[in-house]
Amino acid sequence: MVRLSDMPEVEAAHLVAKECVPFATRPWVEGPPLAERRVALVTSAGLHRVGDRAFSTVDLSYRVIPNSISTNDLTMTHSSVHFDRTGFREDVNVVFPLDRLRELEGEGEIGSVADYHYSLMGAGWPPEAIEDTMREIAARLREDGVEAVCLCPV
Amino acid sequence: MGAASHYLEDEGIATTGISLVRDNTERMELPRFLWVPFELGRPFGAPDEPDFQRRVLRAALGLLERKDGPVVLEDYPDDAPAGDDDDGPAWSCPVSFAGAAADDGGLVGEVLAELRRLAPWQEMYAARRGRSAPPASGLSHEQIVRGLSALAIGARDPSVATNLPLPEWVRLGCDDLRTWYMEAAQGRPGRATSVELRDWFWRETALARLIGAAAVRIAGSEHPALHMFGRRAMVPRVYMDDLMPGVEPYI
Repeated sequence: MVRLSDMPEVEAAHLVAKECVPFATRPWVEGPPLAERRVALVTSAGLHRVGDRAFSTVDLSYRVIPNSISTNDLTMTHSSVHFDRTGFREDVNVVFPLDRLRELEGEGEIGSVADYHYSLMGAGWPPEAIEDTMREIAARLREDGVEAVCLCPV
Repeated sequence: MGAASHYLEDEGIATTGISLVRDNTERMELPRFLWVPFELGRPFGAPDEPDFQRRVLRAALGLLERKDGPVVLEDYPDDAPAGDDDDGPAWSCPVSFAGAAADDGGLVGEVLAELRRLAPWQEMYAARRGRSAPPASGLSHEQIVRGLSALAIGARDPSVATNLPLPEWVRLGCDDLRTWYMEAAQGRPGRATSVELRDWFWRETALARLIGAAAVRIAGSEHPALHMFGRRAMVPRVYMDDLMPGVEPYI
C-alpha cells in the first residue's frame, strides 16, 4: 500500500519532497548472534504511557516505555493526521511490537528484551535536529546493556 | 527513523528498522532497514495478526546478523493480510446523517447531534474491546466543538478552559474527537478497512466540516507557526480540496 505509485499524488509528493541527504559518515556496528543480544524498541509514533505528558506539535523530547507495561496502557499523541491510527487502536503491536518481541525472547530467538524502550514524535523536524536526543537515549540504552535496537516508524 | 539509526550506530549501538518509504531510506544510505509494503501507520502489517507481525519483526531483526554494511536495505516480500471477514456482515457507516436535525442550528448543532447518535456505537466498541482511547486534551467533547466553532467563525483565540496553547488544544481536541468517532465506526458490525473509515470520517461527518472550517481560519493566520499548523496538521492533504478549498496543502 505504501508504494508511492499507489498513493494519492499529493501524499506521494509530500513524502518524496522530504530532504533525505546521506550523513557524512556511515557508522556500522556489529555484535554477537541475535540469540545472545539484548534488544530495545525505539518508535517515532509519539507513543507514551497513559498519563505521561502528551507530545507537542513539534517535539524533540522522548518518553520512556518500561518493558513491564501492558501494551493496552500506551496511547499516541503524534501530531500528524496523515497516517492510519485505527490499526493502532485495535492492536498496539501493529505499530510497536512489544508483545511480539517478548515472544521472540521466550522462544530464544533473541537474548533478552531491554528493561526500557523509547518513543519519539517523528514529525516537523529535520533529521539532524534529533542528534542530541538520540545521543542521550544511546547513553540510557548502554546503561541497560542493550546491544541492538529495532527502529519502528509510523 | 533514519537519523535515529545513524546517531545510535555512531554511539556504538547496532540498529535495524522498518522503512515505510523506500525511496527516502535508500537516499539516506542507512545501516539496516527492511522496507515493508504496508500502509502508513501500520509498520508491522495488520492488527490482530500476531503471526504476521512476528514474521516482519523477525525479518527486521535478522538484518542484525548481516556483515555486508554499511548500507543494507531489504524488501519484505509479502503484503499485509487484508483482514477480510468473509463470513461476517459488511460494514456500513454508523449513522445516516442525511437530514440530521441540528438542535441549536448550524454546524455546532449538527456535530452535537452526531455525537449523540454515535454514542451507542462507541459504547459498544469500548465494551467489546474492554477499553477506550483515553482523551488527551483534558476537554469535554462539547468544549472542543464550541472552541472549533469559535475559530471557524473568526475568533483568534477563543476562550477555552485549558492551559494549553491554541495549536495544542486544537490538535489534541481534534484527536480526541476523531478517535472517538472512529471507535464508534469500529463499533458497527463488520470490519471496515482503514480507507473506508477515513473516507467516512473526512467525507461524511459534520465534525470534519467543522475541523476544515477552523483549519481554513487558522491557515489564514499571519502568525507563521499557526499558518503552518492550519495547513499541515488538521486535515489530511487528500481531503483538503473538499474541506479547505483555496488552501494549498503543505508539501
